[in-house]
Amino acid sequence: MTASPGVAPLEPAARDALAELLLSVADDEFVIGFWDSEWTGIAPMLEEDVATSSIAQDEIGHAKALYELLAELTDDDPDRIAFGRELADYRHAALLNHARGDWAFSVARRYLYETADAVRLTALASSAHDGLAALAGKMRREETYHMLHADAWIRRLADGEGRDRLVTALFALWADAQEVFAPLEAGDRLVRDGWLPQPMSDLHAAWVARVRPILEPIVGDLPSLDSTPDGRRRRTDDFAWLHGEFTRVSGSEEGALW
Amino acid sequence: MIHAGNVNAADDELAMHYAREFYGRRGESHRLWIVAREAITELDDPDLLKPPFDRSHKKPGGYIIKHKLEAAKQRAATEADES
Repeated sequence: MTASPGVAPLEPAARDALAELLLSVADDEFVIGFWDSEWTGIAPMLEEDVATSSIAQDEIGHAKALYELLAELTDDDPDRIAFGRELADYRHAALLNHARGDWAFSVARRYLYETADAVRLTALASSAHDGLAALAGKMRREETYHMLHADAWIRRLADGEGRDRLVTALFALWADAQEVFAPLEAGDRLVRDGWLPQPMSDLHAAWVARVRPILEPIVGDLPSLDSTPDGRRRRTDDFAWLHGEFTRVSGSEEGALW
Repeated sequence: MIHAGNVNAADDELAMHYAREFYGRRGESHRLWIVAREAITELDDPDLLKPPFDRSHKKPGGYIIKHKLEAAKQRAATEADES
């Protein structure tokens, strides 16, 4: 890999640590983008169809930027990272293992993810890694609207006939939502080097403190749960299906350029 | 300011999101003004907008200023050289 002028190449352990962090965020954005794009054409109304599809595209755009940063770091190809991995090599949080479900389920998941992502991005925007900090800052500007959109829907569903479905979905997803903050193997090092300004456990606590007062009036008491060491490694049949979908075109003609 | 189009939405808040996605998602807008249909005062009387009389005297056509403009530019350039 050619280092940027004035920037010393990272030693392998440091590079691997940063790569693990970048991949976890990139895969989250990539996979939720693909799940939400499953609503294109069938969202509850035309306007919402366009909005949901556009937000899904935004997430894919964030994933693209992150994969590019990662590819530069590891001297790889962003398309290969996105589409060329085996099922077991994806590192998204277990929250994103589930199929889109009904509308309330997708809204519940988007809300849980957007709130968690907001906490994470706020931390990453002050990362000691300049490239990542700049990208996180840029992503936040767009995610603000995603957050407002998800929040608008949560409040509407909580207040209407969708309430039961929303409550069911939030309970079903609550445990896996904690896994956005699942510990990274290189977590200690990432914090020590300032690339991840706060430990995942701190970010997790900040997120729980933020969503509990919003969600508990809707669903009642939510259990206090920890994230788990394999929170980014568990895979499901739902995701196996999605993986088959999003690799179908790239897999049909290996090495093709588009 | 141009009329971008319309959206159907349950309320103002969702209308803002839908307007953003319909008319701003490709970076084509600098600002969006979102107004409920019932808040719009419409003026569509053809007698006001397309009156029956000749209006050519209200248009700036008919004045040939090209030569005057060129002469003025030359004059300005000459004056600048002299100073």
